[in-house]
Amino acid sequence: MEGNIVEAARFIGAGLAMIAAAGAGVGIGLSVQGALTGMARNPDTYGNLLTNMILGIAFSEAIAIYALVIAFLMLFKVV
Amino acid sequence: MKTQKRRPWRRWVVLVLMIVGFILGGIFVPVQPEITVAAEKLIEEPIVGNFLGLGPLYLVNTLPTLAVTIVLLVVLAFFTNRSLKKSAKTDLVPQGIGNLMEAFMELLYGLTEGSAGAKWAPLIFPWFATIMVYVLFANLLKIIPGFESIGFLLPAQGEGRTIAELGAGWANILPAKVATGGYVLVPFLRGVSVDLNFTFSLALIAVIWIQVVGFQAQGFGYISKFFNVRTMFKTPFFGAMDFLVGLLELISEFSKILSFAFRLFGNMFAGVVLVAIVAGLLGRISILPSMIMMFELFVGIIQAFVFGMLTMVFMAQATQGHGHEEEHAEVSAEAH
Repeated sequence: MEGNIVEAARFIGAGLAMIAAAGAGVGIGLSVQGALTGMARNPDTYGNLLTNMILGIAFSEAIAIYALVIAFLMLFKVV
Repeated sequence: MKTQKRRPWRRWVVLVLMIVGFILGGIFVPVQPEITVAAEKLIEEPIVGNFLGLGPLYLVNTLPTLAVTIVLLVVLAFFTNRSLKKSAKTDLVPQGIGNLMEAFMELLYGLTEGSAGAKWAPLIFPWFATIMVYVLFANLLKIIPGFESIGFLLPAQGEGRTIAELGAGWANILPAKVATGGYVLVPFLRGVSVDLNFTFSLALIAVIWIQVVGFQAQGFGYISKFFNVRTMFKTPFFGAMDFLVGLLELISEFSKILSFAFRLFGNMFAGVVLVAIVAGLLGRISILPSMIMMFELFVGIIQAFVFGMLTMVFMAQATQGHGHEEEHAEVSAEAH
């Protein structure tokens, strides 16, 4: 068994960085669930809730994007 | 009114473009480009040796895109202005692009008024709309074909790619890698938002103007948001807590700059890399990268909306006084 230990560490690191996507997934799911419940109870608030839901999703998604950028940086030896 | 048989020929243009794109993707095999976080230099020497005493200024490939963005915005403003002036002379009913922009601005103004209230909306709205339209154009320009794919071929320092001459000084880059004597592509144009300098400077402008709006709305009392000594002498313990909370607010202002800058940059950079990787993995099948391009369209619009919306929400927060929370603190102090 031979190989480059640094290469292996890069791939493992990129994989570990993407664990953060789990948290973002939970966050997006919770915000959509809350918004949908609100919409079902009071359909008049649809537009307002949709805007705020997308804002919240963007916040949660940003965390996953940070992790994705870190993973890319490791994968492509940028830094 | 006579009914006519409509001939929707435009949809065939779209179909032809899709087929042409599919065939071109089969002929010119997509190559995974060199992924760099910083924008590439088009000219190796700096164009200004010592810019404002800060350092050398290079002609990077995001600068032409920035110029294109600004020219497009000026052209849009010109035509909107002309259309609105024409409608002002006739019957005050805007038509064409003037109508479109009026509807868009009314939508944005309604959003501003909903969050900031009618009093402060005129102060906040120009910043919100400017940032949003600017970032929207910067994000959407990135997905035009030709960005990040047409450029100079430079001899690679290390590992590079082989090329095939097409004649007249043009060459096609091939997926095969060679250890020495290969080439790397330095594209002419790179999306503006895929440059951390752009997003960071925009974030600095946004956060500094949030503070300016705060001072305009509350006068000098705005600074008590950060150095809260109002309740220090009445209730020493909770006053000290309020002071610490104010310091945390100060730190959060700085973290706003970072989160603004990295949210936009991260989303756009991840989009570029995702399209490149999927195209590079699949080779001649070009249907999936175009699906991801479509997702990038969505992400670009959403991120522009989020950047503008967050600026607006933070500005609206800055206009509101700190009084409500102080009352809350006093009530809780009595309750304890």
